[in-house]
Amino acid sequence: MKAQMFAHPILLASALLFCQAALAHGPVFDCYIEHDDWVKCEAGYTDGSSAVGRKIHVQDTSNKLLLEGTVGKDNSYTFQAPAGAYSVEFLGGENHGATIQSSDITQ
Amino acid sequence: MPIKRRLLQALATATFSCMTCAAQAHFQMLYLDETALQRAADLDFAIVFTHPFSGGPTMNMGEPRAFNLISAQGGKKTDLRQYLKPVQWQSRDNQAAAYRASIPRELVRSLGDHIFVLEPEPYLEKEEDVYIQQFTKLVVNVGGVPGNGSEPQGLPVEIQPLNKPYANWTGGVFRAVVLADGKPVPFAEIELEYVNHSVDIKDNAFGKQDSVKAPQASFKSLSTYSDAQGVVTIGLPRAGWWGIAALNIGATKTYKGKPLSQDAVLWVQVRDMK
Repeated sequence: MKAQMFAHPILLASALLFCQAALAHGPVFDCYIEHDDWVKCEAGYTDGSSAVGRKIHVQDTSNKLLLEGTVGKDNSYTFQAPAGAYSVEFLGGENHGATIQSSDITQ
Repeated sequence: MPIKRRLLQALATATFSCMTCAAQAHFQMLYLDETALQRAADLDFAIVFTHPFSGGPTMNMGEPRAFNLISAQGGKKTDLRQYLKPVQWQSRDNQAAAYRASIPRELVRSLGDHIFVLEPEPYLEKEEDVYIQQFTKLVVNVGGVPGNGSEPQGLPVEIQPLNKPYANWTGGVFRAVVLADGKPVPFAEIELEYVNHSVDIKDNAFGKQDSVKAPQASFKSLSTYSDAQGVVTIGLPRAGWWGIAALNIGATKTYKGKPLSQDAVLWVQVRDMK
């Protein structure tokens, strides 16, 4: 029983610790026109952890998936811009997504 | 050698080598309005050699020997001298030759730390017959992704930040290591100065209004020493810009037959919590 009583504060402390770690880890995402109609998107997190391997979706205005890619070793994903308006979504993990509209993507 | 004795020796050396101390309180400014950017933007720099607390007098700058950007993306170095534009800077009491630089957004689009390094032409302080050359660093961050801003840049003298120079709250503490040829400099003489007025980049001028009034001359330029490991620790009592200078720490001690003080400068931006 004593051991169980000890376990609760430890679990609570661990949960708070993980909670704190999660709070300090926010997604950062930005895209720009690198050249011609090629768009480069960079992804990362505020604690410096890597976004390599995370998915990126390019969607039209009706949320139809146009392109799907992954963040490369240089923390970026490059694609040829589709015609018309679109959005780019960084799937950075649960509650760690970020989206940018094509109207906000410039050189 | 006991630390106390080494410190006394360093203080004695500093006192001897700076008998008149007219070379003190000079700061190579490498200024822009904002160093913590949400997204990349064009950057307008003012590059002025001055006394930042008093807003002058400002000294004439020669053409900088180097002005480089070390990119957040892979540490690529870009020569920025093509963007330098000579201007006449209006400070409190005089006008002097200075520089502006408009850096296009394309060069700072990547997320993370972008390090700007200025190597000015040595300045002859005629009153003392001494040359001063201040290797100056400024770190700009895009997006909040931490980066390589704390990496030494291989300069003859430099200040290596241990905190992010662009993310500091008023009342916080900032730490850095003083380096000469990449090695920590124990008991280096440090000056700390607050930019005590607005900086109007478009009009090439300092504002006429002081932000704070110094109760006495020694409050204008604060001083301390790095510790035995070369670490300098400062408080940040007010929002705005603080310059840290480590004086006369370079291995090169003469230029054109006269004494040379090779100093390292780092700029730190501070925000109020509100």
